[in-house]
Amino acid sequence: MADAKQKKPESSAGNAARAWGATVAGWLVPGLGHLMLRKWGRAAVYFLCVGILAVAGLALRGNIFSSHESDAFGVLGFLADLGAGIFYFVARFIENGGPDVSHAAGDYGTRLFATAGVLNLLCALDAHEIARERKA
Amino acid sequence: MNLSHFQTLLLLAFVISVAFAFLSKRRMGDRGKYAVWAFLMFLLVAVAIGWLMYPLSR
Repeated sequence: MADAKQKKPESSAGNAARAWGATVAGWLVPGLGHLMLRKWGRAAVYFLCVGILAVAGLALRGNIFSSHESDAFGVLGFLADLGAGIFYFVARFIENGGPDVSHAAGDYGTRLFATAGVLNLLCALDAHEIARERKA
Repeated sequence: MNLSHFQTLLLLAFVISVAFAFLSKRRMGDRGKYAVWAFLMFLLVAVAIGWLMYPLSR
């Protein structure tokens, strides 16, 4: 009993480190947080969902926001896009001929990429909750 | 790549429905039901809002 009480703070700290590790990994590479927690199916599904939205957004030549946005909507767009983790950095690196929001498809692309980012943040939070054992 | 408004809606609705089903349900049967329900609701609500806005476009 006394041993269990002494071990609890260590185990709790380890659990918190594991949870934050899974969260950051999940943000950086969609699904990696779940992969670290041995949730293979969910890892694959989240990677595919975020990947499909991000690639479609890029292929439609949506606007990928940078950190130098001047207005509030630009900053919010940057934060949403940044949520896509590695897809954001790859998109910024590739550029794909730059955005083309003069057509409706380009505008859809902007929204799809932002949706990929926000969805990935949700998935990273899910990995955090699973690692904290608040969720199965 | 070029997608129409409706094709983009179908893509978004499908992907988000599947992701939400996996985020919110644990059993595969529940996930399937939830994904189908969310997908249909996405389409229904989008088409309904489209028709509600139709008079404003004229």
